[in-house]
Amino acid sequence: MWTAFRKALALILSGDRELGNILLVTARMSLSSSLIALLIGVPIGLWLGSCRFRGRQALVVVNRTLMGMPPVVCGLLLYMLFSGVGPFGRLRLLFTVEIMILAQVLLITPLVAGSLETYVSGIAQPVRETAKGLGLGAGKTFLLLANECVYPIFSTYLLAFARAIAEVGAVSMVGGAIAWKTNVMTTAIMQYTNRGDFSLGIALGLILMAVSLLVNILVSLLQRRLSR
Amino acid sequence: MRTEACAKTFGGRTVLSLPAIELAPGRICAVVGANGSGKSTFARLLAGVIPPDGGGAVLPPRAEVRYMPQKSYPFRLSTRANILLSGGGEERAEALMEALQIGRLARRRATGLSGGETAKMALARVLSRPCGLLILDEPTASMDMEAAILAEGLIETYCKETGCAVLLITHDLQQARRMAGDALFLYQGRLWEQGPAERVLFAPERPETRRFLEFYGGA
Ligand SMILES: Nc1ncnc2c1ncn2[C@@H]1O[C@H](COP(=O)(O)OP(=O)(O)OP(=O)(O)O)[C@@H](O)[C@H]1O
Ligand SMILES: [Mg+2]
Repeated sequence: MWTAFRKALALILSGDRELGNILLVTARMSLSSSLIALLIGVPIGLWLGSCRFRGRQALVVVNRTLMGMPPVVCGLLLYMLFSGVGPFGRLRLLFTVEIMILAQVLLITPLVAGSLETYVSGIAQPVRETAKGLGLGAGKTFLLLANECVYPIFSTYLLAFARAIAEVGAVSMVGGAIAWKTNVMTTAIMQYTNRGDFSLGIALGLILMAVSLLVNILVSLLQRRLSR
Repeated sequence: MRTEACAKTFGGRTVLSLPAIELAPGRICAVVGANGSGKSTFARLLAGVIPPDGGGAVLPPRAEVRYMPQKSYPFRLSTRANILLSGGGEERAEALMEALQIGRLARRRATGLSGGETAKMALARVLSRPCGLLILDEPTASMDMEAAILAEGLIETYCKETGCAVLLITHDLQQARRMAGDALFLYQGRLWEQGPAERVLFAPERPETRRFLEFYGGA
């Protein structure tokens, strides 16, 4: 146990090439997927939270359901769509980083939209009332509303990133955990542990925890600014 | 300026049902009544924040309305930027901040202001530009006495200079008596008494109005 731990630290410090590749693939995947999810989810959340229209509540319920979608179900769905016999099989995307990103976008976008919807629906009424009282138009009101959401958007992004980097179910199904290609930190931990090789797993685990710690420190700093 | 007859129902409970009301330009009309009598709902209907029952317009089309809600929202901007939002220009904003003694708060984030400071910012914000109808929902409720007097002066000047009609919702009877030319008394969502302030606020005709005034030391 201790030797595995020491080996893990040595691995991190020595700049092991396979470890480096895994980190690179992980960073590329989770940064892309969380950013794309933010770009799609924020407008949806702002829209769902601030506009009143028929079917809004139904959309919110649909979104909450998607928020609870198990990653393996998402993986299964994409696997079926993109496997050789599936409708998108010709694209040959299965077992690439691109489809892993797609899977994560599907998983994370509802989270981003949902968290923003909750925040926005809490402030939309007074914001709209005050803006209307000043004779401001719909466009300006929307900008003001978005400006109120700067910190929530930041902290939502950090949580989305944390979720992306820690997710394993969907990415292992559609990515296949191919060494030097689609193996990310979480899938590598599973793989190496199954082989009985704990040191790389521990090294990755330590890095994951450090990233998570950093993200959560940032979130709590943001929340402190928010509640001031 | 004439407001059409209007009603508002929330979940089957009619909280407001008013006849058409005439608001004179260049005059301040006080709106008084107990908690829950429908004053803020009336203000929201006029400002177009909520629609009246059955839709339709309460005010003539193209009426320029400015409205300060009972709970004004400080946007996550500086105090000065908040006031500039309504588009009245730098000079006007500076003058208003000066008059309300919030000049030293100009650069501060408005979200960090105290209750009374927020109210002063909101009043300056709504007074930045001329309009046809100004609706103020308890503008001085959280201000100290000196600030309230300053605010009253500003509102009166604004009313005189722009010639707009002012609807002033207030629980401060002395303030209503100081400022208003006309007055409305709302009772359980209905227009109970209406007329010149000297009558409604000093010598009302109906027993409910008299009883309401008694708590302020009588008519
Ligand atoms: N959005 C709403 N949903 C349900 N009921 C409402 C809503 N807005 C107002 N009401 C009800 O309408 C009635 C009148 O409310 P309103 O805010 O107009 O009173 P008010 O005269 O402004 O009172 P106050 O002096 O306390 O400000 C109250 O009984 C209130 O509960
Ligand atoms: Mg009210």
